[in-house]
Amino acid sequence: MNSTFESDKDNLRYAEYALGLLDADARAAVAREVETSPEAAAAVALWQRHVTPLALEITDIAPPAHVWAGIRRRLAFDAGTPSRESSRPRTSVWDSLGLWRWIGVGATAVAACLLVITMTRQLPPPVAMHPSVLMVSTIAGDNGVAGWTATMDIDRSELLVVPASPAAVASDRNTELWLIPAGGAPISVGVFPPGDPKRFHLAKALLDRLGPTAALAVSLEPVGGSPTGQPTGPVIAKGAIRAA
Amino acid sequence: MPATSPADRDELNRLLQRTAEEDQRAFEELYRRTSSRLFGVCVRLMGDREEAEEVLQEAFVTVWKRARSFDAKLSSALTWLVTVARNKAIDRLRQRPDLRPVEVDWETLVDDGPGPAHGAESDEEYRHLQACLAELETQQRRSIREAFFGGATYNELAERAKVPLGTMKSWIRRGLLQLRACLNP
Repeated sequence: MNSTFESDKDNLRYAEYALGLLDADARAAVAREVETSPEAAAAVALWQRHVTPLALEITDIAPPAHVWAGIRRRLAFDAGTPSRESSRPRTSVWDSLGLWRWIGVGATAVAACLLVITMTRQLPPPVAMHPSVLMVSTIAGDNGVAGWTATMDIDRSELLVVPASPAAVASDRNTELWLIPAGGAPISVGVFPPGDPKRFHLAKALLDRLGPTAALAVSLEPVGGSPTGQPTGPVIAKGAIRAA
Repeated sequence: MPATSPADRDELNRLLQRTAEEDQRAFEELYRRTSSRLFGVCVRLMGDREEAEEVLQEAFVTVWKRARSFDAKLSSALTWLVTVARNKAIDRLRQRPDLRPVEVDWETLVDDGPGPAHGAESDEEYRHLQACLAELETQQRRSIREAFFGGATYNELAERAKVPLGTMKSWIRRGLLQLRACLNP
């Protein structure tokens, strides 16, 4: 039957799209169908559900920390306003401005300025809150006991380590704190007294590498800290960094 | 990647739905939980770490912007996320013909076992798919798997398998129809 044949053909295209077989034009055509036809969207989603379990065979790889920083930058999270909020009204301001000029409604410079001012005032106010500005980490030993907690204030470029139940440390050893970016080598934050709170200033290079895939660790080092720039003694505690 | 438990799935769905409501913390948590999986998929498809990093960034930017189009009735959050990442990777492979999809060795990739998947066997959908793939002829199964993991077009697959384009199309299409009958009885 012709209709069955046609729908089989469509369905095969959707399967080919889900597998990734189509060339750029054919891919774009299916992507448009998915946007406009609920039936196409459902058929494509069904094929994706069928084939995606194959991805279970792929080994996980932790992405480097700068990837997350790049995503935040692209979405302008650190500017305080998510780009989804900020980009749309701005585009429409310019669209409207162009339209005004085009249809010649007497958009003098003054009128244009007023238009911008008026429309800018209707923009949502910048969100003052920075949801991820505070990050925390519980730095615990292998026995699960928290040795220290760390709080990172990105705005102030500060990290505060506070002892919880720190392990006893021999007097000829120092505890050194390390930031470990996912898949990267540890970066020294500094030496700190194990039993007292200590505030560190975080250099820009360190700040850039903080993120939900990074971790903190404490190692035992000679007095004055690791001579090599990398941990030389045993790691006695570690903890993932997460948004506070 | 390890299989997900039903509780993990619910949690990821919830995080993605909160991302759709522009909850940055939920988005960050979603990234923390899924970026290694998605990055593995990107590296596999792109065959190049730097390209994969770029694709992963584009994928998560799209996740933030398009989370509202996620429909929990049509797919799980993880499937949706992997699909976004795969689509970004494949689009990039098509835009940049100089980035050849990863050459996959026909003999080592595939045909019988579930490969190195830790815990994949415990995933019910995976087991079902694997059982249906096992019913296909070897060439059909290989070609479908190669298409999934390599993001290659029919032409590229035919070239690699050294068969005419028509043969490759027929292997894959017959395989897909058979697979559909097996997966949606």
